[in-house]
Amino acid sequence: MKLLVCIKQVPDLESRFKPDAAGVWYNETDLAFRMNEYDEYAVEQAVQLREKLGEGTELTVLSIGPDRVVEALKKALAMGCDNAAHIQDPAASGKDPWQIASIIAAYAKDKGFDVIFTGMQSQDRGSAQVGVTIAEQLGLACTTTIVSFDYDNGTITAKRELEGGIKGVVKLKTPALVTCQLGLNVPRYPTLPNIMKAKKKEITAIPVVELLREEALATTASFHPPAKKGGGIVLEGDVSDLVDKVIAILKDKTAVLR
Amino acid sequence: MNFELSQDHKVLQSAVRDFVEKEIKPIAMKIDEDHMIPDSLVTKMSEMGLLGSYLPEEYGGAGLDMLSYAIVVEEVSKACGSSGVLISAHTSLASGPIYTFGTEEQKKKWLPALNTGEKIGCFLLTEPDAGSDAGGTATTYTRDGDHSVINGSKTFITNGGYLGTGVLLASYDRSLKHKGITAFIVDLSSPGVTILKNENKMGIRGSYTTAFAFDNLRVPVENLLGQEGKGFNVAMDTLNGGRIGIASQALGIAEGAFERALAYSKERKQFGQAISEFQAIQFKLADMWTSIETSKLLVYRAAWLKDNKKNYTMESAMCKMHASETATFVTKEAIQIHGGYGYIVDYEVERMYRDAKITEIYEGTNEVQRVVISKLLLS
Repeated sequence: MKLLVCIKQVPDLESRFKPDAAGVWYNETDLAFRMNEYDEYAVEQAVQLREKLGEGTELTVLSIGPDRVVEALKKALAMGCDNAAHIQDPAASGKDPWQIASIIAAYAKDKGFDVIFTGMQSQDRGSAQVGVTIAEQLGLACTTTIVSFDYDNGTITAKRELEGGIKGVVKLKTPALVTCQLGLNVPRYPTLPNIMKAKKKEITAIPVVELLREEALATTASFHPPAKKGGGIVLEGDVSDLVDKVIAILKDKTAVLR
Repeated sequence: MNFELSQDHKVLQSAVRDFVEKEIKPIAMKIDEDHMIPDSLVTKMSEMGLLGSYLPEEYGGAGLDMLSYAIVVEEVSKACGSSGVLISAHTSLASGPIYTFGTEEQKKKWLPALNTGEKIGCFLLTEPDAGSDAGGTATTYTRDGDHSVINGSKTFITNGGYLGTGVLLASYDRSLKHKGITAFIVDLSSPGVTILKNENKMGIRGSYTTAFAFDNLRVPVENLLGQEGKGFNVAMDTLNGGRIGIASQALGIAEGAFERALAYSKERKQFGQAISEFQAIQFKLADMWTSIETSKLLVYRAAWLKDNKKNYTMESAMCKMHASETATFVTKEAIQIHGGYGYIVDYEVERMYRDAKITEIYEGTNEVQRVVISKLLLS
């Protein structure tokens, strides 16, 4: 069988974000990047399936972006992927979900992947469109936000998370694409021996121009970092007055007091 | 010149960082309180490969390099100095000399169990009357058929309490001073080995610091490490490498304390503003960070020199000396920035201060490091 897992490298979300020069995305300078959280669940699930199927199964990890995304690919290789495809694109962050999905679909088209794993969404752009759009473009069965996964003889059985904690079970025939949600698994640590072994695994570099055929359908017009939070309300004065003020605020603004 | 970590080193750093954040940081305070690193953590660190980072894959190690090892000890020590020194003493002082001086048979016999953490390693050099003056070793051995019979005592043995695999220094003729010393690989679960006590310490309280007595400990001749009478060389070479480990531990402790001090300075308000708005605090932070960055450059460079098979004696002494003094300075200032809270156990910087002090003492006191550096400058 052939498996593909698509990952994105995103900035540490606790970073301080500033707009880039064009004001349409964040400035990458001084940001620390790591693998998108949901993609870690995707990698872990793909590796677990790879281990279950054993010999004769090949798991490829793919990422689109500048050179730094190779770090995320190496991590995925150390977690147990067999080889990697780096779609080289310094301008990936400016592409819309349609273009990103098109690039991946163009890569995957002739390769006969049986199962494709993606994260539910990226932590930075958060469109949650790339996975389903790849499936649509490749004509694959697809299910989203899965929190459990099982594969047996050409059929995937996955539990999906719905609103309010409700779950549903879906079955789909391969070839298929699933998008992975928090709660699916606990991603393994890449161990030191596996980090070493990953150095010998192949990373194929493919310039994005070889795969990009589509124009953007939606362009980002502007980017706004979060406004600085205010310091809260400071109450001053006599203690008995303060108590009244606090009670008034609790009644007004919260459900603590009625 | 390139001062950036390679992508492979960054992958390693972030993997170890994630591991430490989830598995060590939450229990670091308890490790200090209990005077014990839980066995479950030792197992997890072993499974992660932290106990055999730079040893070759053929002996069960991860096959990475010295810089990777330095990063491992640094990242672990950011959260827990005790766990950092467990790794450092185990790797640099037990696996290290067996790999450097051992025969192929010895490496195959002893290294896999060390690299997988099945056995925890230690280095038995220091004695009640011989530490920095290794030539004064009073533990002796005599030959009895195909065994060496060891008698004497050792003290301040990091990781000793695990009764794992030790590299032990003993003399066959004390009048020969350092020329009479031989190194042995010993199985500390053998008869003739007695733990006198595990010391109660100021810091790194989760780590064993053990005093041993050896009463007719019989060691097979094939366990002799290196050549007879050349144990002093084994010791000196081992300590050279070990200093990079301790420097990394000190660096990590300093970074851990700095991280807390920086965050606290932005949270704590006095006179209507965060204390980080005061220049007195700003200057402290600037001095602390500059010292940390200087130490990091020295540590990584010493590791790089060792990886590139260049002489690193002076650099390992300098990085150990500077990083340890940085650790005591930064942890002390971190407490000061925390004010009264810094003196409270829950804020953790007081533990880091206690953990930091030993790094100026062990693996050669900083006075000895200055001797090493100045001797090389003047030779």
